[in-house]
Amino acid sequence: MNAFSHKSIKLNLYGLLLALFVFSTNFTNAQDGEKLFKSYCVSCHYAGENVLVGPGLKGVTEKYEMSWILEWVKNSQALVKAGDAQAIAVYEKYNKVIMPNQPVNDDEIKAIFAYVDDYNANAAVAAPSASSSDAVVATSDSAVEDDNTTYYVFFGAILVLLIVISVLRKVNYSLNSVIKNGEIEDEKGMWSALVHWGASNRKFVVLFVLGIIVLFAKAGWDTALNVGVYTGYEPEQPIKFSHQVHAGANKIDCNYCHSGARNSKSAGIPSANLCMNCHTYINEGQQYGKEEIAKIYKALDFDPVTKTYGDNTTPIKWVKVHNLPDHVYFNHSQHVTVGQIDCAKCHGPVEEYTVGKQFAPLTMGWCIDCHRETKVQTEGNGYYDEIHKRLPEDLKAKYLENGVINVDELGGIECAKCHY
Amino acid sequence: MDKTKKYWKGTEELNNSADFSTSKNNEFQEYLPTDEFLGDKETLENSSTSRRDFLKYLGFGVTAASLAACETPVNYALPYVVKPDTVTPGIANWYASTFSDGNDYASILVKTREGRPIKIEGNKLSEVTRGGVNARINSSVLSLYDGKRIKSPTVDGTEYAWSAIDRTIKADLKKIDSKGGLVRILTHSLTSPSTKYLIEDFKAKYPRANIEHIPYDAVSLSGMLKANELSFGKKVVPSYHFDNAKVIVSIGADFLGNWISPVEYAKQYAVNRKPENAWMSKHFQFETTFSMTGTNADYRTPIKPSEYGKVLVALYNYVAAKLGRSKVSSSLTSADAAIVKAGDALLAAKGASIVVTGSNDINEQLFANAINNLLGNYGKTLNINTPSNYRKGDDESVMQLVADMNAGKVDAIFIAGVDPVYSMPATVKFSEALAKVNTRVSFASRPNETSALCNFITPDNHFLESWNDHNPIAGHYSVSQPVISNLFDTRQFQDSLLVWMDAEVDYFAYMKKVWEEKAYPNQTASLNFTDFWNSVLSDGTFKHKVVVDEPVAFNAELSNAASSINENTSAEWEIEFYQKVGIGYGNDAHNPWLQELPDPVSKITWDNYITMNPSDARELGYATEYGEQKEANTMNIKINGVSFEGVPVVSQPGQAKGTLGVALGYGRTIGKDDQIVGFNVYPAVTVAGKSMLTYSTDVSFEKASTTYQIATTQTHQTIMGRDSVVRETTFGVYKAGDKDAFNPPHLLTTHEGKIKTTDASLWAKHPVEDVGHRWGMTIDMNSCIGCGACVTSCNSENNVPVVGKDEVRRSREMHWLRIDRYFSSEEEQKSEGDRSYGLMEVAEDNPRVVHQPMMCQHCNHAPCETVCPVAATTHSNEGLNQMTYNRCIGTRYCANNCPYKVRRFNWFNYMGNDDFAAINPSQDDLGRMVLNPDVTVRARGVMEKCSMCVQRIQEGKLTAKKDSRKVLDGEIQTACASACPTDAIVFGDLNDSETIVRKVADSDRSYRVIEEVGTEPNIYYQVKVRNTEEVQA
Repeated sequence: MNAFSHKSIKLNLYGLLLALFVFSTNFTNAQDGEKLFKSYCVSCHYAGENVLVGPGLKGVTEKYEMSWILEWVKNSQALVKAGDAQAIAVYEKYNKVIMPNQPVNDDEIKAIFAYVDDYNANAAVAAPSASSSDAVVATSDSAVEDDNTTYYVFFGAILVLLIVISVLRKVNYSLNSVIKNGEIEDEKGMWSALVHWGASNRKFVVLFVLGIIVLFAKAGWDTALNVGVYTGYEPEQPIKFSHQVHAGANKIDCNYCHSGARNSKSAGIPSANLCMNCHTYINEGQQYGKEEIAKIYKALDFDPVTKTYGDNTTPIKWVKVHNLPDHVYFNHSQHVTVGQIDCAKCHGPVEEYTVGKQFAPLTMGWCIDCHRETKVQTEGNGYYDEIHKRLPEDLKAKYLENGVINVDELGGIECAKCHY
Repeated sequence: MDKTKKYWKGTEELNNSADFSTSKNNEFQEYLPTDEFLGDKETLENSSTSRRDFLKYLGFGVTAASLAACETPVNYALPYVVKPDTVTPGIANWYASTFSDGNDYASILVKTREGRPIKIEGNKLSEVTRGGVNARINSSVLSLYDGKRIKSPTVDGTEYAWSAIDRTIKADLKKIDSKGGLVRILTHSLTSPSTKYLIEDFKAKYPRANIEHIPYDAVSLSGMLKANELSFGKKVVPSYHFDNAKVIVSIGADFLGNWISPVEYAKQYAVNRKPENAWMSKHFQFETTFSMTGTNADYRTPIKPSEYGKVLVALYNYVAAKLGRSKVSSSLTSADAAIVKAGDALLAAKGASIVVTGSNDINEQLFANAINNLLGNYGKTLNINTPSNYRKGDDESVMQLVADMNAGKVDAIFIAGVDPVYSMPATVKFSEALAKVNTRVSFASRPNETSALCNFITPDNHFLESWNDHNPIAGHYSVSQPVISNLFDTRQFQDSLLVWMDAEVDYFAYMKKVWEEKAYPNQTASLNFTDFWNSVLSDGTFKHKVVVDEPVAFNAELSNAASSINENTSAEWEIEFYQKVGIGYGNDAHNPWLQELPDPVSKITWDNYITMNPSDARELGYATEYGEQKEANTMNIKINGVSFEGVPVVSQPGQAKGTLGVALGYGRTIGKDDQIVGFNVYPAVTVAGKSMLTYSTDVSFEKASTTYQIATTQTHQTIMGRDSVVRETTFGVYKAGDKDAFNPPHLLTTHEGKIKTTDASLWAKHPVEDVGHRWGMTIDMNSCIGCGACVTSCNSENNVPVVGKDEVRRSREMHWLRIDRYFSSEEEQKSEGDRSYGLMEVAEDNPRVVHQPMMCQHCNHAPCETVCPVAATTHSNEGLNQMTYNRCIGTRYCANNCPYKVRRFNWFNYMGNDDFAAINPSQDDLGRMVLNPDVTVRARGVMEKCSMCVQRIQEGKLTAKKDSRKVLDGEIQTACASACPTDAIVFGDLNDSETIVRKVADSDRSYRVIEEVGTEPNIYYQVKVRNTEEVQA
């Protein structure tokens, strides 16, 4: 009898673990939905109800059949040509802008809409009054917190497991007593029951404790490594400036605004007068109307009606996203002009960001790794010609063993290249 | 008999006292205050903190700290609203400007970052100062951010708007004008032509008032002005050309440190101190106090200050006799043999020699003129036809001003750029006289003794906030331009005058008009004024030819002058008033960089003191050695009736016997509490007739019972008795060309015979030769005059903290670059094998000096690198010894293992610790603006040292990369090399065979300090060559 009850507990245990696994798989799916949405949809659609290029995706799953949505996303023009009434209505409503065919499968589309629904449900809970300002507020939960939820789920599961075990054990014990003595023994308490159970299941307890220790160690290690690392840092800015609109949709070159990147240490945040090169005329945005652009005018004391400037200027107080420690010297022009590194290598797909965020971890290990792997752009640079000329043959051969000279081979990982 | 030389950094070492012997073996002499917290048994036992508590707190602390570290700091970035075209954040802008404060003059370049001036360097386009600066000039950027500056105009201590003050002053002026009253404008000597015109216009605005401009120099040169009036009919200071002089004779003139225009003269002087040239100048110095100029002389003769005139007369007679001219009556002096030597040298270099004297006595200046005239030097080494405008102060008119004020005649006085209440002799009674003036307007930019007695304070801008122009020497012009908007509600002196004369223009427009009318017609290069003006602003300088070829006719009566000089009687004790290279005449006394700059000769910081010859000091029972535990004795001294109680006495080798010396410019009573250092000697300055003399024979003193703590860097870093630190020779030996005679290679004795140190090494060759760059430096000890401009330049470039007197006393000064001053003296070896030093007592009376700038030597085989447990100091592939602050854990092993003792440890958080708030400029938001944003501000507990300005190297390389070319020689300059007024320091790429640094490093005079330990430094020194006759090994 005892053996049987043990088996059943074990089965239950495995079932729970399985459930946990399934749960976390679902969790990963939701995560995927967000990722997919951000890779494929975000340049034309908001998850909320506002219109960007195409409609906001809120409520789409209620309005249309899923099968229709699947077809539409994969090939919208086919539906239009086939004379589908719904499709033609959508097509005409949004200025006959063709929605490009998306390279996603049915599951992925479902994941995307699962995310959209989730998102809108969250947004409604988080900010019921601010329904109009959707995207920015809701995405301010950083990636770091997402990581933590994984741990909460694990710990939660463990807790549930413990409770279940003790309850089952108690039931088992009571039943055993009834069989043996025909009467129910006095309650000895949950703890002693647990100890008793543990004593007879040593292997499991040891494994279990070891697992918890490993889990804690892993959590501690990851936390320690992440101290001061703000990947995904995405603070709310005084102006709801969207790189996605400027660099993505309008394809403005990074250097147009961040001109310092080519010749200075800092890439620089553009001064307000630079914004006016375009915003003298463009005084209304698609998302926020005149509100956000008016903030530029206020900074410059510009009157959009008379198109005149006043004297009462106030600088815009942007929140700095990339914060290097003071003991690190970093020069943009070295990387952009001399090293010919693409901005996206460190800043990610900026043209997709609606809110500026930190893409790279900016840790020393990250810097060093890149310096080890990146080739020095020696071609056509007279400075390197001279350095190359001075290299003795044996070193030349050593450096060029792999065909290229990497940054570290010319001293690029020495301390005083960045710390002084 | 063989002669050997002994080098000593101070009397402690010379006498090899017991304390010194112990302390020199103590590499870290600083006192560790363990007793302060462990020795107090009572406190320790009463303390309730048990070990368990301690661990609890520790645990809590660690947790709290980790939690705090997890919080995301929110930083803000505020871009320009409208970005100026010329400013790119992260890129420095350089503007040409001019420094001229009535004491120093230099055409400069100002480095600004994001609109903040952070560094001052010399302007190489100037033909006057040729890119030189001194410590006072490159430290002046710090005074811009001085939180003690006057922030708004006041009347009787209450703040008022400018408009209100302007109304009152204008009303006063109109009243004075209507009654024909007296207005006096008291300033330092002005070099500005526009200001001169402005003052004339100001006078014209109030035609009935008697307005006069009185230039006043705290340390006056009116004796020379008058002597030149008598000699040539021109009341001017001539321009000097030390670069044309083969023989220089200076009688008490510290022309490299303080006399007239030291930056200009240092540049000229250094040109012919290089033995590689066909000839090398010969320099004779007769003086009382060991001046920086004296340390550079080939022959130095200590004399009493009352003997300056007699030496000049004797020298005149000697030269006149040889040239068949009539002599004047003369009394003997103690320096006869030296006079003959100097006289012969002068005669051998007729028309290429120069005689200068620092005296303010007309008669003595007359004799200097007479000698130069006899030798035909006018028009060659000094020129009266292209006079300089540095000094115009006339003691007589200043005395007249005081008399007028006392008589109640003066209705208004404007005081700008000077502090007469502080710097006038007590006998003049300036403050009493000032009280009788109705309208007293001070333009002080910082509260001072004079502004405290003025009813109106209309604060002047800092010179970096002002427009101005300068005419230092006839035909040479330069401009000052503002490099930052006014930090406070201040207004430039000239603008105030313009407002008070109801002018419609500001000073910038006024000055531009002057240039358009006066300077523009004198040039042909630009076709319109705008072009011309822009080129002047860009270059900072302008020059036009002055065609004055009046024959110089010397026409002065000498016999009366001679008899007047002969009447000077020497006293048993005389005192000379001198100026220090850091503090000067006292205008910069509030600048902590300058206070912490060690004096070039005494190596004492943060104080002035009475100097005395060591033999005198010993005889009178004064201590001759100072250290953290050894304090100086003090004396009560009375000079010209002014008493000073308990002032420190310092024994100074080389001080003339029977004389004392004391520095002016200290003892300001108004300022930050911690900066009131030293005592003010100006009240005791001698007033003879109507001029102020730089010495006094009316001196009496007695030893006081108290002692005084002196902060000296003198014997902190010893050379441990090694003789391979300093090398020197004579011009004759050098010219003979045998390198082994003056710069023998260091050889090691092995079983295979003698080998070079470079051939014996435990380590494999460090792969920096021939690979990429190898940054290196050469330092010519022949050119180095010890002025310390490099030290303050380094401080400002590298955010070196100020530690204050108390920490300097503990040997914790943070200077990355120090100038070691070694005294040397000839001595006879008593007999073979006897290594004792027989003639030391005499040696101490007039030693010779070698200045050796010492910083991290960037050894290829660096001993510090091998002992660092965390690899915080490592070698770069460009030959730099890198120091990584964020990795350093502060074991200080590296400093212990450094043979050069150049590493500095941050004992405190100097930028944040309240104990240092008073002296450390970078503690408030304003002072922090001076920091170089490209250099880390170091935290407590880390080691730091010279980085060879790696930020500049990186910047230079990056520029070359962006321009797709190799790094040009001279393109990258370290802060010290760029500041050096004598070009003693050369920086460059040793791997480039074409660079100057490579060529100098390969020259015969090159050696590396302590070569025998095999550290293979990347810094080379050049053997010091003296232009003396003795042939020595």
